[in-house]
Parts: sequence; C-alpha cells; structure tokens
Amino acid sequence: MKYTIRRIWMLVVTMLIVSFMTFLAFELVSGDPAQTMLGTEATPEQLAALRHELGLDQPFFARYFRWLGGFFTGDLGSSYIYRQGVWGLIAPKLSLTLLLALISFILITVISIPLGVWSYRFVGGPFDWLRTTFNQLCMAVPPFFVGILLCWIFGIILHLFTPGDFPALRSDPGGALRHLLFASICLCIPRIAMTVRMMRSTVIGEMEKAYVRTAISRGNDRRQVLTRHVLKNSLTSTVTFLGQTMAELVGGSIVVEQVFGIPGLGRFLVSSISNRDYPVVQAIVVLLAFWVVLAGTIADLINQRVDPRLRLGGGAK
Amino acid sequence: MDENLVLEVRRLSGGYRKGGVISRGTYKQILFDVNFEVRHGEIVGLVGESGSGKSTLAKIILGLLDPQEGEVIHHTPRPQIIFQDPYSSLNPAYDVEWILEEPLRVYGKYDKAERKRRVRDMLSRVELDEHYLKSKPNELSGGQRQRVSIAAALIRRPRFIIADEPVSALDVTVQAQVLRLMRSLREELDLSYLFISHDLNVVYQICDRVLVLKNGRIVEQGEVETVFNHPQHEYTKRLLEAAE
Repeated sequence: MKYTIRRIWMLVVTMLIVSFMTFLAFELVSGDPAQTMLGTEATPEQLAALRHELGLDQPFFARYFRWLGGFFTGDLGSSYIYRQGVWGLIAPKLSLTLLLALISFILITVISIPLGVWSYRFVGGPFDWLRTTFNQLCMAVPPFFVGILLCWIFGIILHLFTPGDFPALRSDPGGALRHLLFASICLCIPRIAMTVRMMRSTVIGEMEKAYVRTAISRGNDRRQVLTRHVLKNSLTSTVTFLGQTMAELVGGSIVVEQVFGIPGLGRFLVSSISNRDYPVVQAIVVLLAFWVVLAGTIADLINQRVDPRLRLGGGAK
Repeated sequence: MDENLVLEVRRLSGGYRKGGVISRGTYKQILFDVNFEVRHGEIVGLVGESGSGKSTLAKIILGLLDPQEGEVIHHTPRPQIIFQDPYSSLNPAYDVEWILEEPLRVYGKYDKAERKRRVRDMLSRVELDEHYLKSKPNELSGGQRQRVSIAAALIRRPRFIIADEPVSALDVTVQAQVLRLMRSLREELDLSYLFISHDLNVVYQICDRVLVLKNGRIVEQGEVETVFNHPQHEYTKRLLEAAE
C-alpha cells in the first residue's frame, strides 16, 4: 500500500515535469497566438483585446497552471483553425484511439502469453527454424503494409468493412467495432511476435533454474512445469514488456488510423501539426506522454503484486 | 530376498551423452559397476570429491537419467529428494503453503482440505510456525528454507529420501539443527536416507554406514565408525586427512 502511494506520487511528479516541459517548448516555438489568429493586418488594439480574451497578458506560470488545470476542467484553450475548444475537438477522437489501443492490447495479451509458453515446445526441435522465420517475418512486415492487405482482402473483396469510411460509434457500434478490430489486428501482429519472442527467451532462462529441477523431481511433467511453475516466474518481465506495448500502441495507431481511415487522435495529430494548430498539438502531446507514464506505472504496480521483491528502492517489508 | 531392503543398486554403470549437435555425440561414462544397498531405517552416506559421480548416481536412482547397464531396484514407492541449495531450489514466485501443497496436487489424490491439513502437519514436524505459510522463499533464512525443502520432500510420505548435500549451503550451527531434525524425522516417519555429501564431518555426525566413491567406483564401504577410524583404501585416508 505504501509502495502504491509512492508510485502514484512519482507518477504525478513525472506528469507535472512532462507537462511543464511541453508547455515551455510550445511557448518558445509557437510565437504569438493572437497574431496567428488575426493575421498580419490586425490593429494593435485588436491584438491587445484578443490577448486579454485568451489570457495571454497573464504571467507565464499563471498561464501554465490555468492550462494544466484545463486537463481536469476540460478547458484547454481553443484551436486556431477550428475556433472551438480543444477538449471538445479531442475527446471523441481520444476515445476512438483508446478503444483501438484497448482492443489491440487485449488481443496481444490473450494471444501472446499462451503462445509464448507453447513456443517452448519447439526449442531444440526440428521445426524451430520455421517458427523463428515466421516470428521474424511478423516483426519485420510494417503495419501499413499489413493494413493495406487487410483493407484489400476483408474490406474490398469480402466487404466486412469499408476502408476509409468509419461508421459513427453511436449510430453503428457493431460496424465501428468491426472496423476497429481489423485495424487492431494490423497493429497487433508485430507486437505479438515481439512478446512471444521475449517470453520464449524468458521461459528458456527459467527452465534452466533449480526450482524446475525440484518440480520435475516432485513428479511434474513438462506441461505442468511450464504452466504451474515457470509461467508465474516469467510474468514479471512480460508485464513490463506489455506496459511498454500499451504505451507504444497509442503512438503506433497513428499510422494504422491513416490506413484504415479511423478519425482518431493520431490522424488528428498529423493534420494539426501540418496546420500549425499548436494548442491542439500541445494537448495531444501531453496526453500521449501521460499515457506512456501511466502504462509504466500500471505495469510496475501489477509486477509488485505478482512479486513483492520488485518494489522500487528495495523497500521490502 | 531381504525384506529389510529399501534400495538395491546392482552392477550399475552410467553417464552422459556429450555434445551431439550434428553427430550423436560421445558417451562420457561416469559410473563403473556400482553395487550397494540401503536397508530399512538406515542413513547411508555417499562421499567423494566433486566429479566423483555422486550426483549422477542420485539422478539414476531417481529415474531422471537412464543407466547404461545394471539395475536400480526400489523396494519403496517413489523416493523423494532434498536438494543442496535452498536458495534456488524453491520456486520464488509462490508462498510456502503453495510449495508444500504442490507435490500433493501433482499426486492428485487428496482434496483441498486434506492437502491443507497435511501441509500444516508437515510444517509442524519440520518445526516451522504456521505464520510462515504465507511467506515467500526469499523472506526466509537459509535454515528455514531447507526446512521447507525437507517438508516438501516428505509431504507425500515417502519411505526413502535422497539428500543431495542438504546442509552444505548452511552455516555450522544451522547445519547441526537441520541434521538433528533429519534424524528425528527418521524415527517419526520411519525413513531411510541416502545422504550425499563431500563433508566428512557431517557424514560422521549423521550416517550409519558410508560409501566412498572415487572416479565412479565404490572403493570402500562399511560402518561409519569402522571406515572413519580404520580406513583401508588410500583414497579414504586422503579424504579423512583433508577433512581434519
């Protein structure tokens, strides 16, 4: 419990640092938003009025804290391009991206953990090279290529979904989920291959350990040794890896959203960057950073439950 | 046939196949014509330097390795083993209760309540308090861990135990406690031991008879008192001198 509180405290501090750095960076890069919004022909009076309206005449730290508070109150300033609240623009896209990441994450977890343990069967066997080749192939093929392939086969030939035409989540949830499912398959394949490879090497390492010899001498067969003794010991590194995966999935979805035409955060980020819509970019960057830090924290907390030896800073007992 | 026997090892030879990525590899013979028996209630010491073949012999007796020639005859149900290193031989991911229950779960004959009852009974026999049931191995001392190992080996109530250097990783005072425990468990649970050790002092403390293994051959065997006080073979004399 003490560890949990400390870990959450660390999370808050990290997020503060991340958000401050982002705010500072955009402050330096973006210039005067009032000028950008009004164009070069604005009079000084108009500029001053807009600056006051946007709160830009306030001191730096006051603006920072108001902006930071916006993540809780939903007021993150307004977009230069769309002239509406950033939060209102982002929220529906964020939920789509998180849904895509969540579906992918569930697929990765339920497929790669059993597959990782099962792949130990091939170690030293005559078909190990085939397994390795297939694994490497899955890792090497880029998601956009698999995405195009999936769009072609399942979208254009089999008509299971319409690439580029994403149904609204509210009016057609079934169709939207089907669309997301194909996108997540494309996002998952290299990740599953990596997780399986990582688990396989962990399992091989664990099988060398003395407790495995004990388990065998107590009458466990190979399958029992793997599922009952080795699996739990292999889980900590797998959970850490899955935590990183969770974090990277959101970043990785940028490409996949483009290919499948899903109006998610990634696609919005790309278009906002090319529009120089700094308030939007700023908010998305911080949200992605929060997501990465949060995923790491969750992985640590789960590991600590599985294996109390892993408390950070050696705070055992 | 002598009814008092728990184990007979007859004309046993064995070893490992080494290498063999491309070819079948070469056979490295470790044991040569080993003959001995363990009688009911006995603690038989097996001594010898490292590399003399002690562990290979233990593996063959446990059925983890096939003999090349000869035979191992068990007059008891499956023997159990206590390993040397209590730090690595217990599964670090589980608590003591799970570790002790595990051999019974594999056996599959008892329901949950009976397993729990047996675990508690065995824990008190190895003189550990019940509150250790929820401890993980890394929270225990070396002596406590070895008590857990002993309990795990005894939980299925075997009659014959192979103890492979059971106290070598422990310091001397803890060694004496664990040896005393092993001796009293022999009376309580009607056990016989094959006690493998390179430490002659330990063997002298606990064993009734001793086998001296050199380069895979038994060069001397007999009562501990006789062998230790009047060693016949040069190798035994050397081992005894080294131990003083």
